[in-house]
Amino acid sequence: MTPVLQAVRLGKRYGRHRALADCDLDIPQGRVIGLVGPNGAGKSTLLNLSCGLIKPTEGVIRVLGAEPAANPAHLARVGFVAQDTPVYGDLSVADHLRLGARLNPGWDGALARRRIARIGLDPKRRAGRLSGGQRAQLALTVAAAKRPDLLILDEPAAALDPLARSGFLDDLLEAVTELGASALLSSHALPDVARVCDHLVVLADHRVQLAGDVVDLLAGHVRITGARSDVERLPAGVEPIRVEHSPGGSTAVVRAERGPLPAGPWRVDAVDLEELVLSYLTRANEGTSRPVPKPTEAHR
Amino acid sequence: MIWLTWRQLRVQTLAALAALVLLAVYLLVLGARIRGAYDDTLARCAGGGGCAGQLAAVADEYGGQVDLLGYLLLAVPGLIGVFWGAPLVARELEAGTHRLVWNQSVTRGRWLAVKAGFVGLLGVAVTGVYSLALTWASGPVNTLLNNRFEPALFGARNLAPLGYAAFAVALGMTFGLFIRHTVPAMGATLLVFAVLQVAVPSLVRPHYQTPVRTTVPLTAPLISGLTKIGTYGEIGGLRVPGGPWVVETTEILDSAGEPVGHTDWYQDCTNNKSLTEMPACLAGGNVHVDVSEQPADRYWTFQWLETLLFTALAAGLCALSSWRIRARLT
Repeated sequence: MTPVLQAVRLGKRYGRHRALADCDLDIPQGRVIGLVGPNGAGKSTLLNLSCGLIKPTEGVIRVLGAEPAANPAHLARVGFVAQDTPVYGDLSVADHLRLGARLNPGWDGALARRRIARIGLDPKRRAGRLSGGQRAQLALTVAAAKRPDLLILDEPAAALDPLARSGFLDDLLEAVTELGASALLSSHALPDVARVCDHLVVLADHRVQLAGDVVDLLAGHVRITGARSDVERLPAGVEPIRVEHSPGGSTAVVRAERGPLPAGPWRVDAVDLEELVLSYLTRANEGTSRPVPKPTEAHR
Repeated sequence: MIWLTWRQLRVQTLAALAALVLLAVYLLVLGARIRGAYDDTLARCAGGGGCAGQLAAVADEYGGQVDLLGYLLLAVPGLIGVFWGAPLVARELEAGTHRLVWNQSVTRGRWLAVKAGFVGLLGVAVTGVYSLALTWASGPVNTLLNNRFEPALFGARNLAPLGYAAFAVALGMTFGLFIRHTVPAMGATLLVFAVLQVAVPSLVRPHYQTPVRTTVPLTAPLISGLTKIGTYGEIGGLRVPGGPWVVETTEILDSAGEPVGHTDWYQDCTNNKSLTEMPACLAGGNVHVDVSEQPADRYWTFQWLETLLFTALAAGLCALSSWRIRARLT
């Protein structure tokens, strides 16, 4: 099956400013993909590249096997909810559904009406008067009712309060399941991603730090706790991601590429997704904010 | 896509059409009155002589009104460009709604083409109806004055306004797409359109065809029709019989071709005679001016060329916008 998203050495520059660099991705279909990273890491850039709103300055991107937004047929296969969920302020909710129906050959009017009724939006209400959460729901409805194969959402829950947020994410999952589509959503809220995503892409410093199915990622990483000297001397094939020393001992989140970690003078624990992502983000942050520590420094 | 464009623009479209209907009714009434007065005058003076004077009175009576309506028609394409053209894309970019609409199953090239086509056709139609009504209503007055080739009238009658309208919409849209902010795009549109409306008649239009050089004897009636008689023989506003467009005139010359501005008799005519005596006094000197003019029978050639020029500019801007929206995005 064609990958839902494929990127080879993908990069985007705005003049001298680099927004995304050396991005290699190969994500299979049928996933709910979470894109996480700090603000300014390049999340929106990657999503805008994916839906064809912008074009790459380096490398190649293929979405559902083709160049994004190349023609109406491909546009019909990708639904996009942009950041801040833009809607036409002076058009009503019903007008937005008519817009969707007029501009999309595969429009599912029944699905759209059902969703609007369930959310409890008044079709006559002008979109400019909706709350942030209602606007996000309307934008999601317009994107979902064109029955895309891939639904892309840029920080869809950012404007919502915690309660609305959890409702919105449930709703999103339901929509994706109903469509039988893949979804790609960005968020800087790790719990949101942990809740709905089964595939993860971690972006920091304009680069992909980590990508893979959540199950595989959790299976491939562990936290070890032990004496500092032991933690600093790991066997081959075990890569430390983030190491913390304290007087009582040291903790490291490590990637064990070849199966389970061999027994050693340490305790091995499973990591959760949040800790895993934070470890990678911390590493990326240390890499940029100060020079990479030399090996001798680590032993001081 | 056409539905969406209509839905977004229906308020301003209906307002424009309402204004146009009012204006057209006014022009029909005005035209009927001008034609009535013209025919009455002709019928009354047919017996005795002196038609010219009475007809001139008719032209005088309605000339001011017709002029004002003409100036309004010169401004209409500019207003359309500023208020319809500039916000067409800029407003979407400003509100971020382009990110919603560009991700429906319609390519943005088509999106732009439909929007530009809708507003462009509407703008051209509104301007065209206005121009048609004004050209009809003011017909007798312009025939009497024989001045339709003059810049202020040339751009406000017949075909030329249609070209201006198409150009103004394209100009506004292009500025909106490149500047990405509505108000600056409106300002830029207004500025460029106004500059072109001055620059084209004075710098470009005179050269559509090579002007004809000729000599015009200054008779007393011609002198009394001038808008300016300078201290040293410069003149302005020369209206030559037959209705050519006088592009350039020399100062007043005597029969030997020498300027008369500094001679004693010229100074005597301009300084010591009353305004009513002066034309006859100057004409007595057997004076003339050399002019370069566009003959009256070139009027329609010029109308077509002017319209084509602005339509071509509009097409160029549309091509530029189309390239821009596809190639350099967001």
